Amino acid sequence: MPDLHPAAARAGPLSAGGRGTYPRSLLEREPSLGLLLMLPGTLLLVIFMAYPFFLGLWLSLTDSMIGHAGRFVGLLNFVNLINDSIFRQTARNTFIYALVTVPFKLVLGLGLALVLNTRIPFRNAIRAGVLMPFIVPTALSSLGWLMLFDPIFSPFSWLLKHWGLITRNINFLGTPVLAIVSVMIANIWRGTPFFAITILAGLQAVPAELHDAAAIDGAGAWQRFWNVTVPIILGVMLVSTLFSIIMTFADFQLIYVLTKGGPANETHIFGTYAYQIGLSATAIGQGAAIALYMFPVLAALAILLLRYLRREVA
Amino acid sequence: MVGSASMGRRILTVYVPLALFLVFLLLPFYWMIVVSLKPPTDLFNLRFNPFFIQHFTLKNYRYLFQETAFVVWAKNTLVVSVAATALALSCSVLIGYALARLRFPGGSAMGVGIFLAYLVPPTLLFLPLAQVVAGLHLYNTYWALIFTYPTFLIPFGSWLLMGYFRTIPREIEECALIDGSSRLGTLFKIVLPLSLPGILSAAIFSFTLSWNEFLYALIFMSSGPLKTIPVGTVSDLIKADVLFWGPLMASALLGSVPIAVIYTFFVDHYVSGLTAGAVKG
Amino acid sequence: MAKAQRGRRVRRPSKRSHGERSGREGALRISRRALLKVAGAGALGLTALGTVPGLWRWGGAAPAQLKGTSLSILQATYFIPTAQDLYKKQAAEWGQGQGVTVNTDFLNWPDLQPKISAAIQAGGYDIVELFPGWNYLYAENLLDLTDLADAVAKKGGGWEGFVANDIKVNGRYLGVSHGNSNDALNYRISWLKEVGVNLPDPAEQARTGKILDLTFDEWFALGKKLKAKGHPLGQALGHSQGDPPSFCYPYMWSNGAMEVEKDGKTVAFNKPMFVDAMKRFIQAYKDGFDESGPSWDDSSNNKAFHAGQLSMTLNGSSIYAVALKDFPEIAQDMNHTLIPKGPAGRFSLLGARTFAILKNSKNVAGAKEFLAWWFDDKQYGDWIHIQGGYQLPSTKKWAKDPMWGKDPKMYAFSLQPSIGRDQGWAGPPNAKSGLAFSKYIMVDTFAKAVQSGDAAGSIKWGADQLQAIYGG
Repeated sequence: MPDLHPAAARAGPLSAGGRGTYPRSLLEREPSLGLLLMLPGTLLLVIFMAYPFFLGLWLSLTDSMIGHAGRFVGLLNFVNLINDSIFRQTARNTFIYALVTVPFKLVLGLGLALVLNTRIPFRNAIRAGVLMPFIVPTALSSLGWLMLFDPIFSPFSWLLKHWGLITRNINFLGTPVLAIVSVMIANIWRGTPFFAITILAGLQAVPAELHDAAAIDGAGAWQRFWNVTVPIILGVMLVSTLFSIIMTFADFQLIYVLTKGGPANETHIFGTYAYQIGLSATAIGQGAAIALYMFPVLAALAILLLRYLRREVA
Repeated sequence: MVGSASMGRRILTVYVPLALFLVFLLLPFYWMIVVSLKPPTDLFNLRFNPFFIQHFTLKNYRYLFQETAFVVWAKNTLVVSVAATALALSCSVLIGYALARLRFPGGSAMGVGIFLAYLVPPTLLFLPLAQVVAGLHLYNTYWALIFTYPTFLIPFGSWLLMGYFRTIPREIEECALIDGSSRLGTLFKIVLPLSLPGILSAAIFSFTLSWNEFLYALIFMSSGPLKTIPVGTVSDLIKADVLFWGPLMASALLGSVPIAVIYTFFVDHYVSGLTAGAVKG
Repeated sequence: MAKAQRGRRVRRPSKRSHGERSGREGALRISRRALLKVAGAGALGLTALGTVPGLWRWGGAAPAQLKGTSLSILQATYFIPTAQDLYKKQAAEWGQGQGVTVNTDFLNWPDLQPKISAAIQAGGYDIVELFPGWNYLYAENLLDLTDLADAVAKKGGGWEGFVANDIKVNGRYLGVSHGNSNDALNYRISWLKEVGVNLPDPAEQARTGKILDLTFDEWFALGKKLKAKGHPLGQALGHSQGDPPSFCYPYMWSNGAMEVEKDGKTVAFNKPMFVDAMKRFIQAYKDGFDESGPSWDDSSNNKAFHAGQLSMTLNGSSIYAVALKDFPEIAQDMNHTLIPKGPAGRFSLLGARTFAILKNSKNVAGAKEFLAWWFDDKQYGDWIHIQGGYQLPSTKKWAKDPMWGKDPKMYAFSLQPSIGRDQGWAGPPNAKSGLAFSKYIMVDTFAKAVQSGDAAGSIKWGADQLQAIYGG
């Protein structure tokens, strides 16, 4: 990888040499300053995230119901879930949901980023415009999709019938496979802009000179793409992908509004099933277990991500 | 100039894909606009073309402003989003700088811990969190959200800024230190001004996430006039089994278009801000 | 006996509400004037002065000092906005009279449970509205209101059947029921006529009581004819808690099956009569229904009916109410009748909603006083009347209320309470039935059957799920 930012490659602690006579107050020493700077954010996270998280972890190890503290039951909830056919279906759905939508979002995001990286009129407005699916609150955009997928009033069905291509309305959210495909479409719609804008940022860092040099050397557009562009944006793509996987596994609002996990549990994912069991049925211990089921896997993914980030520092 | 292709080629490789993308991403918004400008009776009349407006009406917007507290919701959402972003950003700047520049005990562990925060689903967190919020007497106040939103804003912000700070040549800071500046002084007087694009990116990302949030706003702060736009819309425009589609879509539009307009002005900075932080090598 | 909230008894109120003269010589005059007052301002305090007919007295104890306290009430957003405004007004009037700051919050009803859960964990509400079955789910966190409930029932001539069966948890009342929203078979008169069903006009039906009386099989046959003419029947089978269960549970009950026997343990779901009935339903779904039902939520059949896409559908009177305003030709052309019956009888899924007080409330006395006042005939009556039959009242005395006579098309709803029963039948509506309900086991059984065509397999699946809940 060409070293484009030599200074950054040496990113690390600043040397404080040559100031031996300067008073070494707390704010000047690295260890104390470091901790001090971490303090506000960490405090917030500890109070409002760590503590509730451990409480939630505790809940998953009990048979608690809402308002009714339960007894410690160890991993019983997790074991019982394996025998729950609805949970198994939920797990399958979640994996399919994440592992299909993320590549689509990546590829479409990359394509869109490449297009936005060229000289087009109204660039700024278009860039802001394509961010819209990401900006609009999911609680509201999913209502829009609810209408678009309506079994009787969907404009898509109307149009296709108008053109004589189909005779019956499409039951977007009510037929087994089509239901999960429909929610995936909505998810891809919402997630592509995030990838596009993030990768676009990466593309903008590719200096034109590199492309020129490669072109002079006779490389075609495709070769230039693979050998010049991709290595540079690989980092960005990887990071966005991992973030997206984590977010998609934890998704809730979109599916909750569109199908609440139906029909017949065909679109249930961990988030919606945890809600159904933990809040509607008030079996909060089980709900917590469902929500945390993926934690080990996602934690592993996150640690991978962090290793990669720190490797680039060295 | 590399890539100066013929017009035909440009159309094929740029304009056609661009058009397809725009249609895919913006069609639902076009739909929302159409729905918000139609009377309810037209909406479900299957003889009308759903993509066109047969009888234009502003009734839905009037309803939104007169029969609901939309303006109050917007104010609440704005207050919470701005404040939460400011708080999260401040913390992220400090954390990002510490992780990027300083060596201190527990640094890597804390760094990892912060990112793991994303793995905890809010659908699980909110119940124990409710106890914390209530215990601190923050229930039904802006502070409930201002303090809880940073839990999902800080991790990404810190990562972003950490990467961004790393790209600032260390020599600049070292010179300042040699010249007698304090560490914090360097941070505030030298590093921050140079990192404005990165900070802007983090700010925009944080603001968007705060603006969109639903569950915490529903649980911790939805009493009386204190609703945010997503919460207010869902609770007041959905009555039992009847949804008020026109005003619903109007609310969705008014709740996102202004942000997009703001982004138009900042998006250049946003994009270049992500650049320095994200690209390595 | 109510414990005085502030831990001290208040002396006979001589310094009572605004505008009232204090002192004993004015007391009797004041109390009579209070009788005539519409709002509750001061009325509650004055009940202690003597027996005031028409106003219920709480347990004989003196009301605690409420002035300066606050009361928070959580409810579902009303379908009838004027009723919501009325409730707010009533609460405000009571609050003003008592010197209590009253706060009423309304949320979309599916969002109530997370909010109630959070309130149970962390406080925030004194009074919450519970939907059917929730009193069992949150039983440990609700105040025992048996005295209050008994008094309300007594005054109202006894609970309606669907309420009596529903709201007692282990013999105690954990809330006071205000009824529930209604549900009936909505239909288009002219289209039924087209396929040979000639009915007398609605006014006469209401007068004679001879409304359209169908069995499920007759309904299915009718549906076939109607769909052939482009006017199918409609039924939701998706994951929502309103319309889908209101068909699935009754169909199961009318065909000899139920979740559990009376012992609350033996699963009685996989019965041959039910399997046969399911086969007929699967066929009927293809022949007579709009087959996109598995994706419908509670609002889908409303929209479809208004767009002239459906001839008959089960729903509350929300379709009619909206039609009166926005689709008058449909309102003209529609009427209601009871849900069809099966070999085992005619049933409607009807549980009772209640107002309950959370144990961790900081103003228990205020909450009790408010509920006692609100359930009084004046307030409750106004509230029932303004909804014109959309809300089924909880006590028997309202069954013959003149409001039912106002619009003959609402007649069928007045008959619904007598056939209502709740989830969990024949066992009690408890946490297990609540779990089965939240997991949509009943609804998914039907959805699976319709999608796969396999009646026996789907019912077996449902039975296994129920067994895991009840037996395991």
